[in-house]
Amino acid sequence: MSEGKGDIRLEGLTKRFGDVTAVDGIDLHVPSGEFFTMLGPSGCGKTTTLRLIAGFERPDAGAILLDGADMSRIPPHKRNVNTVFQSYALFPHKSVEDNIAFGLRYKKLPREDARRRVQEAMDLVRLGGLGARKPAQLSGGQQQRVALARALVLEPPVLLLDEPLGALDARLRVDLQVELKRIQEQLEITFIYVTHDQDEALTMSDRVAVMRDGRIEQCAAPRELYEEPATAFVANFLGAANLIPVQAHADGDDTALTLGSFTLRSAGSGHADGAAMAMIRPEYVRLEPHGTTGENRVPGMVEEVVYLGFHQDVRVRLATGTLLRADVPNDGDAVEYEQGDAVAVHLRAKNLRVLTEDASVPSSAATGHFAAVSAAEPA
Amino acid sequence: MKLRRDPWGHPRGLALVTWIYIIWSLAPVIMAIRFAFNEGRSRTTTQGWSLRWFWQDPTLSVFHDPSLHSALEQSLTLAFFAMLIATPLGIGLALGLQRWRGRGSGIANGLTLLPLVTPELVFAVGLFMLFTTAFKFIGLGTTAQVIGHVTFSVSFVVVIVRGRLQTIGSDMEEAAADLGAPPWEVVRRVLIPLLIPAIGASLLIVFALSIDDFVVSQYLASGADTTTVPMRIYAQARAAPTPALNALATIMLAVTLLALLLAYLVFRFSTRGQKGGSAIGQLAGLDARIDAGGTK
Repeated sequence: MSEGKGDIRLEGLTKRFGDVTAVDGIDLHVPSGEFFTMLGPSGCGKTTTLRLIAGFERPDAGAILLDGADMSRIPPHKRNVNTVFQSYALFPHKSVEDNIAFGLRYKKLPREDARRRVQEAMDLVRLGGLGARKPAQLSGGQQQRVALARALVLEPPVLLLDEPLGALDARLRVDLQVELKRIQEQLEITFIYVTHDQDEALTMSDRVAVMRDGRIEQCAAPRELYEEPATAFVANFLGAANLIPVQAHADGDDTALTLGSFTLRSAGSGHADGAAMAMIRPEYVRLEPHGTTGENRVPGMVEEVVYLGFHQDVRVRLATGTLLRADVPNDGDAVEYEQGDAVAVHLRAKNLRVLTEDASVPSSAATGHFAAVSAAEPA
Repeated sequence: MKLRRDPWGHPRGLALVTWIYIIWSLAPVIMAIRFAFNEGRSRTTTQGWSLRWFWQDPTLSVFHDPSLHSALEQSLTLAFFAMLIATPLGIGLALGLQRWRGRGSGIANGLTLLPLVTPELVFAVGLFMLFTTAFKFIGLGTTAQVIGHVTFSVSFVVVIVRGRLQTIGSDMEEAAADLGAPPWEVVRRVLIPLLIPAIGASLLIVFALSIDDFVVSQYLASGADTTTVPMRIYAQARAAPTPALNALATIMLAVTLLALLLAYLVFRFSTRGQKGGSAIGQLAGLDARIDAGGTK
C-alpha cells in the first residue's frame, strides 16, 4: 500500500523554545517499515521531535531526510507523512466518512477511487457501518480508529503517532496495541510512535529510543533496552531497578564490584572502573535461606513485605546498609518471608549490570531509602 | 434534638429572591410595552387597547410620524452595516492575534480589548474630535456613526471568536494541514465551519450593541436624518412624549428578540452532532454578553 520507502533520517536536529532546548541535536535513522518508538517522560522532547518531522515546528538546526531528501523546509501540507494526534483532532462538523476522505481531495483521485479507498481504510480499522456518524457519536476507541483511518487512507510511507492511545482506558489500550501492530505489519509502513508508557513501547516496537532532555539516552530493541540498559535513567524508566553504588574494576571479561566488605561479580557488561552503579531488576533478585554461601551472595534482613497479588514486593536491608527490592512471584503458597527474617540475597552475576554513575538519579546510599526507584511501574 | 430544617429540601428563600429579581427587572419592560398599546395619550394611566401608536394614528403613530419612522430606519441601517463590517474584521483580528506570537503580541492583545473598558463617553468625544479635525473629509453623519459602532463592537467580536478559537485548539488546523490542505483550505474547510456559532453570536452582539447605542450615535450625528431610535426617544421623552415612543421601543425589542431567536436557531443547526458542552457554554456566554451590552 505504501508508495515511498519510508526511510527517515534525522541529522543534528535541534529545536529551541526561548531558553529551553527541546530537541538537542538528535541523530537518528529509522529504516523503512520499522515500528519505532520514542519513549520518555514529559518534557523530554519526544513530541517536539515528532512535530518537527510532521512540519508543525521549524527546526533551528539540522535536517530531516525522507528517503534521502531533506524535507525540513517543506510546509506540513506538502510533506509525505501523516499524523495521528493524541487528541485525534477529528473534524466535529464532518461525518466519519468525510473525515477520512478529507485529505484525498488533495490527491486528485477520481471520485470512484476515492470512495473505494475510504471504504478500504474503514475496513482496515474495523469501522464498517459507522461512516455516517459524527465524531461526537463515537466512543473513544472508535474515534481513535477514525483518526488512524484518516491518516492511513493517504497511504503515507511514514505514519507519526503522538500518544494515540493515551486517552483510552487500560483494557482498550491493550486491544488497540495489538491492532496497531497488526496494521503496521500488514501495510509495511514506517511507524514513528511517541509514548510515555513503557508497556506500549515494549509491546509494539521494533526499536525504542529512550529520550531525556532533548537527547536520545539509548536506542535499542525492547529486550536489549530492558535487559541491558546503558544508563541508570533508562534502567529506571523502563521497569523498576535496584541501584547499588559500588567500586568497579575490570576482571578479565567480567567486572569485579566492591560493596562494603563483599565482592560481587558482574558478567560481561563491565568496562567501568572506579565509582559505578550496579543495577539489578527486582525480579532477578533471589532470596535464599540464611547462611547460603557462594558467589554473589550477600546476607540481609527482610524489612517489609508488600502483598501485590500476582507477586510480593520484599524489601531487604543488606548487611552493607543498602535497601533492595525483590519481586517474589506469587506461586500460590503462603508468604515465605516475614519482617525480621534473615536471608541470603543472591545477585546473580549475569543479571547484575554495571552502569556509569549518574548524578541526577538518587542513589540508594544518598537517600538511605530502598534502592528501587521506579519511574513507570505497570499499573 | 429534632432538625428544624431539611437540608435536602427545596431552597425556598433562594427561589423567592430569584423571582423578586426577575419581576423587578421585567416589570418596567412589560409596563412600557403595555402603554405602547394604550388607546389614550397617557403613558401613565391605562386607557384601553389599540394599535393607534403603531400605525393607526394618522400623524402621531410610528408609521406616520416621519421623525420616528426615519429614526427606526437609521438605527437599522447603522446596525446592518456595523454587523457587516465588524464581524469579518473581528474574525480577521482574532485569527491574527491567535497566531501572533512574540514581541508586541501581548500589547496588541490588550489594546484590542481596550474599547471594552473605555468609558463610552470618552470614546465618543475622541471620535467626535477625530471626525471634525483629522478625518474632516469623512465628517459627521452616517458613515462616521457606522465607523464608530464598528470600532467599539469589534472588540466584542474578537473576544467571542478568540474564545471559540481557543476551544477549537490548534490541533484542528494542524490536522488539516497534515492531511494536505493548504492554508486557505484550512480556513475554508475547517476553521470557518467550526467558527459558525461564534460568527452568529458576533453578528447578534454587534447588532444589539449598535441598536442600543446612544452616546456614540449622538456625538457623530449630523442632523435630523441621522437621528437613531435611542436618540429620538431621549429627545422626545423630555418634550412631548406620546405612547408612540413606547411603540417604537416595542418594535426595537421585537426586532432584537427576533435576531436572538434567529441566532439561537443558527447555533443549534450549526453545532448539530457536536459535543453539547461547548455550544451551550457559548450560548450562555452570549447571553451574558448581551446583558453586559444592554446595561452599558
